Amino acid sequence: MHVTGIIFANDGVLRNLTEKRTMASMPFGGRYRQVDFALSNLSCAGIHRIGIVTRHSYQSLMNHVGSGEEWGLEMEEGGLEYLTPYSSSKTSDYRGKLESLSAAMSFLKFGPEDEYIIMIDSAILSNIDLTKVLASHIDSGKDITVVTKKGIANGNKIIDLALKLDSNGDILDMTVDYAAAEDYEASMDIFVLNKKWLIQQVNEHIAHNLYHMDRDLVLGMWQKGAATVNAYSFDGLAMFNESVEEYFTNSLSLINKEVRQALFGGSHPVYTKVRDRVPTYYGEDCRIENCSVADGCMLEGNAKNSILFRNVTICPDAQVENCVVMNDTVIGEGSLLQYVILDKDVVVRPGAKLIGTANNPVIVQRGDVV
Amino acid sequence: MYFQKKRCIAMLLAGGQGSRLKVLTENTAKPAVPFGGKYRIIDFPLSNCVNSGIDTVGILTQYQPLELNEYIGNGQPWGLNKSHCCAQVLPPYERNDKKSGWYKGTANAIYQNIAFIERYNPDYVVVLSGDHIYTMDYAEMVDFHARSGAACTIAVRDVPLSEASRFGILNTNPDGSIYEFEEKPAQPKSTNASMGIYVFNWPVLREFLIADEEDPNSSNDFGKNIIPNLLNAGHKLMAFTFNGYWKDVGTILSLWEANMELLGKNPEFNIRGDENTKVFARNNALPSSYIDENATTVNCFIAEGSSVYGTVRHSIISTGCIIGEDALVEDSVVMPGVVIEPGAIVRHAILGENSKVCRGAVVGGTYTADEEKKISVTGKDTVLQANTVLLPGEMM
Repeated sequence: MHVTGIIFANDGVLRNLTEKRTMASMPFGGRYRQVDFALSNLSCAGIHRIGIVTRHSYQSLMNHVGSGEEWGLEMEEGGLEYLTPYSSSKTSDYRGKLESLSAAMSFLKFGPEDEYIIMIDSAILSNIDLTKVLASHIDSGKDITVVTKKGIANGNKIIDLALKLDSNGDILDMTVDYAAAEDYEASMDIFVLNKKWLIQQVNEHIAHNLYHMDRDLVLGMWQKGAATVNAYSFDGLAMFNESVEEYFTNSLSLINKEVRQALFGGSHPVYTKVRDRVPTYYGEDCRIENCSVADGCMLEGNAKNSILFRNVTICPDAQVENCVVMNDTVIGEGSLLQYVILDKDVVVRPGAKLIGTANNPVIVQRGDVV
Repeated sequence: MYFQKKRCIAMLLAGGQGSRLKVLTENTAKPAVPFGGKYRIIDFPLSNCVNSGIDTVGILTQYQPLELNEYIGNGQPWGLNKSHCCAQVLPPYERNDKKSGWYKGTANAIYQNIAFIERYNPDYVVVLSGDHIYTMDYAEMVDFHARSGAACTIAVRDVPLSEASRFGILNTNPDGSIYEFEEKPAQPKSTNASMGIYVFNWPVLREFLIADEEDPNSSNDFGKNIIPNLLNAGHKLMAFTFNGYWKDVGTILSLWEANMELLGKNPEFNIRGDENTKVFARNNALPSSYIDENATTVNCFIAEGSSVYGTVRHSIISTGCIIGEDALVEDSVVMPGVVIEPGAIVRHAILGENSKVCRGAVVGGTYTADEEKKISVTGKDTVLQANTVLLPGEMM
């Protein structure tokens, strides 16, 4: 069976954290970038032809993913392709997924027609067995399969695409960009479609100036009775990192064993770029409590309830609590940090104090000295 | 096939059993023994090659090669899997001229792979062994060798006179040229110990390997035969002095010591190095480690994928280990995948890969600083049952 994967790299923003990087290259969980989850989901399902759709600031993404070697994607046939934007008479910057698919039509068309396409985003993290999703799609005989997750919609959070299902899993209602109620399931932005059908739909939608995947292709076609939709309700862990607050909460939740088990001990390992850092060194006077710690750190101060990425230095007498500390950041002697997201390469001067709250963490931008 | 000429290639002797490592090398070749939390011994010479710009490495294996072959694979972790370079595992093989079979000695191992070396038509061949922990720029040594005009250059380090009789000792003239080689002399004349790192002019080495093979009385060994033969034939041999950290990890105690020497704020061996001395290793896809709120982690290395709930002091915890609640690990080397159950006590020990210390078991003992330390060892995949004791110096 031929399956092609498409990863969307720029779906959403996390304030200034995504100013110079894609959502896909957003660091997560100490050693990972968000795209690692999508890439591992696809490659561990045996899908080795993958396109990554990017719109802007994709340098960090390309640096991280490279030829896809770490995910077993460095191969002669198939492998990895970057679908970067290019201006033509028909397109400028993509307004929606359908436009980007239209621009990537030659990638989409390559290979036999009886293929399936799996689309996946980089803002929603999961360890999902996509072979089961694919089997469900084929069994259903429907045009589109949407992977959904219970318990995300709460009447407040704006859900991109929400579905109300009956007890048989049939779809009763769909909403787009709406604060759907608790009895709706949120789309995980993972779709399975028949390739030939998708190509036809992309062409027709673009011809009618329709470009929005959720609104035009899924909801619109379903409402008109022009497409049948299958919902695959995922019962594992799904992290929706669609706002800084969610990103922060989800990051810190990794100190729970169950969460780590669900994300990293699910159906397959999560692969990432190898950095060959030394093991983390814990000093004579450090006190590390309830932390997730990546390799290469030098810890001489104190940390509690925090996520420490690779190569973080905590100097003596520093106190780090409820923080997300990204790669290569140095936290100076005697400083105090509570509820802070420190981007990469930050230097916190000795004695500095930065205090945020759980709902409003302080963000220190990449390379800043504070 | 058509191969690009190489100025210099390396041959890495990784076939030794390492019998003095006892249970740790029962089913594993010594170069594949884990070290420093996430490495294996062979990562050090291999990474040195890569960092020295040597991109073609023949790895001679013989004893228990499975794990080592699997570990080296296509050489990808060291960047040696590209079209112009390679990490080639070279096991012994059978030929139709009866000169083949098991490697009889270090020189015979290279002799049997003359064809591999010839493909690259190298000027110089670096011969390394796979059982030392150090970072070294071989390029400096090769340049020194090329400038000196010698047929062979041997890396040496200064050892205390009291220990010199444990090593191969090179006696040199004031200009650094070697006039005598003594293997483990009872009355050493100097303290220049051979590090088992050689640079040869390939045409000369080739000639001497072939001659050595013809000699039925030879033990086909570099130290015992090739080097003395070169000296006797009047070739110029040079000593290249290396002052950095270097440790032979051939015994349980030295392996334990070398691991401990990674620890501290200013460790004897700073494995962190810089971009030019990075040590590469094959990585498993493991998440970050987790340190529980009741854990104590003092002066230790903890590698990725480990979970610590108990107390770890002055120890190396490798990848994918679990240290249970109220467990105590002190002055120990915990190899990958080890599980230490709650309440177990481990002191002055090396716990082999994937071994398990069950609830309430006690391993090893404590010593004062100047007391001789007896290291307890668990072999790979062994299980120390609950509430049992593994005495100081005992192995299982």
